[in-house]
Formats: sequence, structure tokens, C-alpha cells
Amino acid sequence: MRTKAYASIFRMNWKLELQYRGAVLGGIICQIVFGLILVSLYRALYAGRPQVMPIETVSTYVWLQQAFFRMILSSDSDLVGKIRTGDIAYDLVRPLSLYGYYYVRIIAQKSMGSLLRAVPMLVFALCLPRGWGIMAPVSPAAFVCFLLGLMIGLCCVSALENITMGITMRTLDPKGIQAMLNLLMMILSGNVLPLTLYPDAWQKVITALPYAQLLDAPIRLYTGTRPVTEAPGVLLLQAAWTVVLTGAGIALWKSNQRRLVIQGG
Amino acid sequence: MNTIKLYLHSMAILMKSQMQYPVSFLLQTIAQLIMEGGEFLAVLLIVDRFDVLGRWMPGDLYFFFGMMSVSFYLTECFGRGVTGNFPTLVRTGQLDTMLLRPRGVLTQVLCSAIDPRRITCIAVGVLALILGSRMSVIQWTGWKVLAFAEALIMSMLLILGLFLIEAVFCIYSVKSVELVNALTYGGRSACQYPVDIYPRPLRAMFTIMAPFAMTLHVPAAWILGKPLYGWPAWTVFVCPLSGLVVFGAVYVLFCHALRHYRSTGS
Repeated sequence: MRTKAYASIFRMNWKLELQYRGAVLGGIICQIVFGLILVSLYRALYAGRPQVMPIETVSTYVWLQQAFFRMILSSDSDLVGKIRTGDIAYDLVRPLSLYGYYYVRIIAQKSMGSLLRAVPMLVFALCLPRGWGIMAPVSPAAFVCFLLGLMIGLCCVSALENITMGITMRTLDPKGIQAMLNLLMMILSGNVLPLTLYPDAWQKVITALPYAQLLDAPIRLYTGTRPVTEAPGVLLLQAAWTVVLTGAGIALWKSNQRRLVIQGG
Repeated sequence: MNTIKLYLHSMAILMKSQMQYPVSFLLQTIAQLIMEGGEFLAVLLIVDRFDVLGRWMPGDLYFFFGMMSVSFYLTECFGRGVTGNFPTLVRTGQLDTMLLRPRGVLTQVLCSAIDPRRITCIAVGVLALILGSRMSVIQWTGWKVLAFAEALIMSMLLILGLFLIEAVFCIYSVKSVELVNALTYGGRSACQYPVDIYPRPLRAMFTIMAPFAMTLHVPAAWILGKPLYGWPAWTVFVCPLSGLVVFGAVYVLFCHALRHYRSTGS
């Protein structure tokens, strides 16, 4: 019964995300230009000082990051507004947990939002010459691990998003803390600079943080930076962070719900 | 003169209103610091791994980065009405009231917003400039200071002009068009590095369509003593004027678009 309800919330939000196809096109072109700029930059850097890691790996990293940009950076803008207007009362009457309701919503938004953009962008990147575009996964097994990792990453980023939301619920200031956490995510998830290009000593720490579990971990499996034999360890770390973050999020939301004041009348 | 007084007066009022929520303001300012600090960190880490970028030394790269972030965020700070709020003005119909008042629309739009949170971004840029100037041992002369000032002002006009394109689109289609971001934010990301490292299509894009190469890179490279493409010194003072040209051209388009403006207000 519960699962059926969650499934229909998921379907509804998938369809909702599909409505803005026109706006998506502009976003895709913009993201492609960013991808081309970054790949050109790293190619110019490589021309001067070749690295152990081949340029194909870096360009693949850039394209996958750009393609799934929407998975990292998109949030449910309704919730804060609902708290401010008091409409949150309607959500509280639903026979579902508040956390679960918003968790399913955000997963649906992020997955549909990124699929819509990722597919055309990856097709474009596949057409680019070698060393400019995206390379094929190192092996079929690596590809399967990548897909699995991507799915866990999606759950992980949604759990993170809900923690951010939980904090926003308390402060009612969506611009301050939310912006700060989102920017931290951009830097530490490998969007600004691929985590594989950070100093090697830093990488040991950064790859253990939750932000590296979103896209960096699956991309490393795709490109073979982490071989398939290490995949169970990578996936397990991802899953562990997802469980921890979901648990922390549920606890935070529960305590928020107790102190929640319904505004308006 | 009157217009400038009006602008300064609005800025003072807007600053006061921004300071009404000090904690929120502080947090947002720190968020900006994280953003620009992260961007600068990326350049530092790139230098750490690669040492050089073509013929450009680390100091040169910091200098280019600093020039871009100072001019970009000064524009975002004082031109916030154009760079941030304009789509809202159109969507809500607030632009209508501006058409009624006896002042230019662009003046009023510029007077409608300020974004002092960008101060931390500008600070990061200034830091990068000082670091770059020291490391590349720039011998500052009167001419170089003049070229630097011209580059900043022209780049700001260029950035304002590019954001104004978005405003023009907005008047016609009511929705903000993400496509223009490829020129504005894409331009910032690409042109915080010297343009000669990019392949020809991108170089053309940022020399002709969004001429950051003309307003920023030609003078910056000359100040660093490594003229771009080996162009002679007089180009350093002529090329940046393309910022004014872009702004002027888009402004004409903007005025034209305003005549086609159909209100959405209720």
C-alpha cells in the first residue's frame, strides 16, 4: 500500500519534470559549451605537461560530470515556500512520512531532470573525436558497476539534499546555508575541477567524503581509474554513506516536525 | 549628473535594506567566498599539477584570473538589476511602472538592485591580482595603470552588455533564456585563462561574439610583457573599446525591444 503510494508520487514528479522540455534545450547547449571549454583547457594543460592519467579519462570525466550536472544541483523549491505559507499542513495530513514523501519527490526530479539532459549530451560527446569526447567504458562489467554506482549516488545526493532541506526548514533562509552547502558540493564532488586532478594526498581524504560518492565514485568505475576488482569496496562505501545520511536526515526531520509552527490561518 | 546622484542615492537605500537581515547577509557573503575561493583553488591546484599553461607562468595565470573575477563581480555587484533581477521584473509586470516614470528604463533597472555579497568575490580577485603581479614581477608604469583601468571598465561594459542580451530575449519570450549563460558565465569560466590556449572555434567565440579576448586578454598580456599574438602596443588601447561597441549595440536592441514590450501584469 505504502510502496504503491510512493510509486505514484514518483511517477507524478517524473511527468512534471518532463513538462519543461523547451527550457531543457537551452540548458543542454549551455552545458555542452561548458564541457568543450573545460576539455580544451585540460588538453592545453596536458600538451605542456603530460600526466600518468590519459587525457581520454579526463575528458570522459568532464562530460559525465556535465551530463549529470542536474543530478547534483537541483532542489525542491516548493518546500520552503510551503513552510512559509503554512501549506505544509496539507503534507502533514498525508498518511505517509514527510521525509519519505519529499525523498521520493527529489529522487524523481533529479533522475528525470538529469536523464533528459544526459542522453542528448552523451550522444553529442560520443560523436567527438578521441581525446575530446567520451570514451567507451573500459569493460561491460565496469559499465554495470558504473550504472549501479550512479543509482546509489542518486540516493546519496537525494539524502544530502534532504539534510540541506532539513537545515533550511529550521533557519527558513533558503539563500544562506543552502547556497553554502551547494557550493561546497560543487567543489568537493568534482564539478569545478575533476577530483582525479587534485593532489594525490588530498584525494585520499576527499574521495572518502560523502560528496565524492555522488558522481566521482561511479565515474572512476566507468573510466577504470578504480578497476572492477575494487568495485565492491567503492559501492559499499557509497551505500554506507547513503545509509548514514538518510538516517541523519530522518532524525533531523523528525525533530523539525516536533518544533514546526504552522504559519498563516 | 542628476542620474548619477539618483543612482548613488538608490544604492544607499538598497544597502540599508540589505543590512536588515545581518545573519542571512553574512552567511550569503561567506557562501560567495566559498564559491570564488573554490574557483581560485582550482587554478592553484592546476598550477600545482601542471606548472605551466602554454607560454603562461603561474603568476600570469593568477593575474588573468584576478582581472576576470574583479571585473565580473564588480558588474554583478553594481549592475545587479540587469544581471539578476530583470526576468522577475518582466514576469511580474513591475517593468510597467518603470515605463511611466520620467527617467530612462535602463537607469531605473540599474537603480533597482545591488548585490554587496559579491564583495568577497572581488576580494579574492584582488588577492589573485596582487599575487600574480608579484610573481610575474610586473613593472607598473603610468601607461600600464591606464591600460589596466581601461580593461576593467570595458570588460564591465561588455559583461553588462551580454547580460542585457538576456534581458532583450526576456522581453520577447517572457522566459529567461539559459542559452545566454553560455556567453556570460561560459565567458567568465573560459576567459579566466588566456584565450590563445583554446582551439579556433572557441577563440573566435570569445574574440568576436563575446570579445573578452579584446577587453581583457590583449591589455593583460601586454601588462605582463607578453603581448597576445605579438600585436603592437597601440592595439592595447584600441581593442578594449569593443566592450563599448557591444554594450552600445545591445543597448540599441534593448530600446527596440522595449517598444515591443507587452505587459504581463494583472
